Amino acid sequence: MTKAPAASKIQMPLLIVMAVFLVIVMPLLNVTGHIEDFTLNVWGKYLCYAIMAVSIDLLWGYTGLLCLGQALFFTLGGYMMGMHLMLMIGKLGSYNSDLPDFLVFLGHKKLPAFWEPFYSFPFAALMVFLVPGLLALIFGFLAFRSRIKGVYFSILTQALTYAAALLFFRNELLMGGNNGFTDFRTLLGANLREPSTQRVLYIVTAVLLVAVIAGCKWLTASRFGLIQRAIRDSENRVLFSGYATANFKLFIFVICAMIAAMAGALYVPQVGIINPGEMTTERSLEAVVWVALGGRGTLVGPVVGAVGVNALKSWATRAYPDMWLLILGGAFVLVVMFMPKGIVGIPGQIRDWMAKSKNRRENKKESDVPESEGEINES
Amino acid sequence: MKQDPFQKPYLLAAEGLNKSFDGFKAINDLNFYLDEGELRTVIGPNGAGKTTFLDIITGRTQPDTGTLVWDADHDLLKLNEYEIYRHGIGRKFQTPTVYGDHTVMENLILSMAGPRSIWHSLFGKILDPQKERLAEILETIKLSTHAYRKAGELAHGQKQWLEIGMLLAQEARLLLVDEPAAGMTDEETYRTGELLLSLAGKHTIVVIEHDMEFVRQISQGRKVTVLHHGHVLCEGPVDKVQSDERVLEVYLGRKSKAA
Amino acid sequence: MVSPTITRNILWVSCVIALLFCANKISAQEESVKKKIAAIIALGEGDEQTEAVLALKKTPSPEIVGWLEKWKQGVIYIYEAPDGTIIPVIMGDKIEGTRKTAISRFSDDSPVLDESGEQVGVGKYDLDMADTNSKLRRAMSEVESLASLADPDPEERIKAIVKSAIGQRQDKLPALLELQKIETESKVKRALEESIALINLRSDDADKRLAAAELLGKRGSLAAFDILKTIAKESKESGDKKMEEAALLGVKRIEAHISRINAVGTLFRGVSSGSVLLVVAIGLAITFGLMGIINMAHGEFIAVGAYTAYMVQNIFGTGIKLSPFGQSITIPGFGFGEFGMSLYFAVAIPLSFIVAALVGLLLERSVIQFLYRRPLESLLATWGVSLVMQQLFRLIFGPNNVQVSSPVWLSGNWTVNDVVFGWNRLFVIGFAILIIVATWLVLNKTSLGLLIRSVMQNRNMAACMGVRTERVNMMTFAFGCGLAGLAGAFLSQISNVGPSLGQNYIVDAFMTVVVGGVGNILGTVVSALGIGMADQGLQQYLGNPVIGKILVLALIILFLQWRPQGLFVTRSRSLD
Repeated sequence: MTKAPAASKIQMPLLIVMAVFLVIVMPLLNVTGHIEDFTLNVWGKYLCYAIMAVSIDLLWGYTGLLCLGQALFFTLGGYMMGMHLMLMIGKLGSYNSDLPDFLVFLGHKKLPAFWEPFYSFPFAALMVFLVPGLLALIFGFLAFRSRIKGVYFSILTQALTYAAALLFFRNELLMGGNNGFTDFRTLLGANLREPSTQRVLYIVTAVLLVAVIAGCKWLTASRFGLIQRAIRDSENRVLFSGYATANFKLFIFVICAMIAAMAGALYVPQVGIINPGEMTTERSLEAVVWVALGGRGTLVGPVVGAVGVNALKSWATRAYPDMWLLILGGAFVLVVMFMPKGIVGIPGQIRDWMAKSKNRRENKKESDVPESEGEINES
Repeated sequence: MKQDPFQKPYLLAAEGLNKSFDGFKAINDLNFYLDEGELRTVIGPNGAGKTTFLDIITGRTQPDTGTLVWDADHDLLKLNEYEIYRHGIGRKFQTPTVYGDHTVMENLILSMAGPRSIWHSLFGKILDPQKERLAEILETIKLSTHAYRKAGELAHGQKQWLEIGMLLAQEARLLLVDEPAAGMTDEETYRTGELLLSLAGKHTIVVIEHDMEFVRQISQGRKVTVLHHGHVLCEGPVDKVQSDERVLEVYLGRKSKAA
Repeated sequence: MVSPTITRNILWVSCVIALLFCANKISAQEESVKKKIAAIIALGEGDEQTEAVLALKKTPSPEIVGWLEKWKQGVIYIYEAPDGTIIPVIMGDKIEGTRKTAISRFSDDSPVLDESGEQVGVGKYDLDMADTNSKLRRAMSEVESLASLADPDPEERIKAIVKSAIGQRQDKLPALLELQKIETESKVKRALEESIALINLRSDDADKRLAAAELLGKRGSLAAFDILKTIAKESKESGDKKMEEAALLGVKRIEAHISRINAVGTLFRGVSSGSVLLVVAIGLAITFGLMGIINMAHGEFIAVGAYTAYMVQNIFGTGIKLSPFGQSITIPGFGFGEFGMSLYFAVAIPLSFIVAALVGLLLERSVIQFLYRRPLESLLATWGVSLVMQQLFRLIFGPNNVQVSSPVWLSGNWTVNDVVFGWNRLFVIGFAILIIVATWLVLNKTSLGLLIRSVMQNRNMAACMGVRTERVNMMTFAFGCGLAGLAGAFLSQISNVGPSLGQNYIVDAFMTVVVGGVGNILGTVVSALGIGMADQGLQQYLGNPVIGKILVLALIILFLQWRPQGLFVTRSRSLD
């Protein structure tokens, strides 16, 4: 339909190489013992982050909606999966009760009614998408209907996340309070502490990441993608092109909430714990950092950013624990200021810069005409 | 100005419109009637309320009082921006407002007439006749060779034309064109005039303009409306309007003040 | 060998000095009390003595209680001087070299000397105790119960009066009635009336009981609430219809009073927590509201202010040892002691403003100036800055909270008509008013304010008029950050100071500015008070601070449905 922009020319092969490496090569190397179980598990975690990063990019990079609540949707998805995993512990918990340990600790004798259906994996899997999706639908409907956008949207999503975290810290919610869920045993009958189970989880994560990216690729290349970017650049103009922008934003917001929730649901069995600490705005902003560093408005960027920053983090927090936040913060400031397109955008930035300086030399005088209601010309 | 019952109904009828911003009356008891197929030019000094009037028609601003009826039976004041657009009212903004990061072709595709649903945006295909139509428009606005350039990189005049092209792609019944000649060279201005004239008849057009030479070029004896203080000062062919004493006073008074 | 005259002279002088010293310490009144009691003791047992004790009622004072107690305990002895005068005395130390004990006069603590000026020594069992009998003791306790109510400090007096009503013992009544006759302070009179009524609730006289119930209800006496309830129940059982009605009416009136107190209290707490919000958000209202910069590091500027207060406190005190980046730095202190502690805050306030403003200036020059008109980017970049700043705080001041002492008076209370106004909350409100007035003055009465307003209204126009917009941006941002610093100095007095101090307030601060309407200081004031009030109101109603807070956030989101631009809209005609 349209000529592919230069950036995605490099992106496509890069994406395919990445997909093959993540889905096939990594697990194979693990089976042959070249990659440790621990490393593969850590990469599984990174890839969950990458999925969340893609959802942020789809919102921020493509639609201009900087949502500081993606960590909330991620964690909500994780909690839904966590509820199922908690029930799967059965009598193996430290109180040898059918109830999750924290409920016994709080003095409950019976499983609360809303926990009951989570014995079923399909139900839990459905809830992973439904609960965050519904929250996004309600919040998004209210926010977009009243045309809240830009930084206001960011600030409101920040407040939403903050409120939700406050709520999840409460024991009364019966979702584990401070400590959240942990000590998981099995998923669909498979022992979560077996390396083979973790390998399968890794592969599922990698495949879903590739699927999400492929889906986004298709989405952003469609006319929907055009509208998305048009909304990002000039929402008012899109209204005057006859599109109900609120609906488009709501649609993508809900989709992204569900993608993040899915990532969270995959994250929980691999990491083995979920608590409200994951739900804060800082976590959302950290994920935004991955996207910004990797390169927003591209599909490779978020993946590169999420994996890169987290790999750097696990190295730096061990090697230079005091310096890590200084490095992260500093790097982030520099990237935002000088590399708006992130690492992936560097080649394009250089090209643009060269083209611009050439252009400037050629038509120096053809700058934008100042807008003013000129005086009437009576001839 | 009562409507003749045997006459075709007005395409757009505004009656008793009022709008004030923090005490400033931008529109003051404005009555404005437009027939289908007209090419109407609206002139007026700064602050006459021309742009605010377009804002009201396109749903960007709600008037304090008044009625605005489209095609005899649609109350435009009840509709929002995109619903008004879907009735076939297109607008070219005073400053060129195109999607700078999109290519020229993409700009036209976004404006193309057709369903505006999410579903259609995801799964709708661009049909061959539509492609032909887009090529035709590109030809009309003389941007065929720039179809895959980013709109943001175009020259000022080209952006103006692209925006007119977007109105054409929309197949708008009513084109609201706000100062199309602003910032153009004389030659570009003339060509823009020609373009608008070639569209007259097929579309109903309202042009807001300052450049009197341009107004003469496109009005060619058609009706010109003079706005002053948010109110219609007088209407008629350009020669008559220009010799109208009230108009002279408005402009000369202004001129003498400016001098 | 020292001659006796010299010894006597020395003794004489030392007596004078001792007397002077005593006069300094003991009030004339106290001395006369002791003298009076000494005289009464000297009267010897009998009706005359009892009468004299009862006469003390005319000049009640709490000291009487102590001395009468001494008398009852039997530590006052009777010494009959060689000339026959009877002197009440207290046993002193052993006289060196003898087995005798020195004695001193009860009336003025002066040693009892013999004619030659030598200390009189007595054997352990030589003297008789000043005796008491049951009649005398009854008179004493009568005097005591009145005297204990007669502290010269009215506040103490009220405390004693309120205390004496506990248990509603009829035997406490006479003293209260007695005091009522001589009391002049109106506040104390009210307390007296209440206490008397409270005791009268158990009176044998039905009319008195009814009158008491009536009075207590009208007064809205909190102390009577439960008692009246019990009485209403008892009267119902005993079939005393009239009394039951009176008690119930009283209960109803007191309930109304309580709900009024709660309403005023909630309002007050709402205003004060709104004031905290206001102080925290006012800087943001400048940087975000006027300049459109989303400064996510705003909270860290608050922390800068708080740490500045901490530093000032330590430098005024004993100095401080810091170890940033593994380097140990010792900053000596002035060692001003108590005096410095009471003054350091006055110095900390301007300093915290200046330090935060300077850091803000640095941030503006290095980062913000590239991000005007790119609000989302400014949000992200400043978040990076906030990460860096938080980590720097941790590295310099340690990861834990630091101690910033606040003046003792901040923990006091001020009670008006049963509503408790905490000094710390009043301080909060006062500080907020101060900051608002200062901000208003700067924005409206200084040339900087004029420049700020002109640039914020129309950057290009101001630039055309020759305003150096870059400088104004710089100053405005620094001003906003300085205000955050002030907020920090202020918060250091009412909450913990730690590296993540600012994080606790940032969401609230942004909400306040958004609800108030961006670009409108008045809006920020109104919204801060509104949110504070809603927060406290919901807390009071729900009895759960967290759920209240969550509801407030939900309310804000709904509010923005109704007014997306916030309370006060700043209209503009430009596209986007």
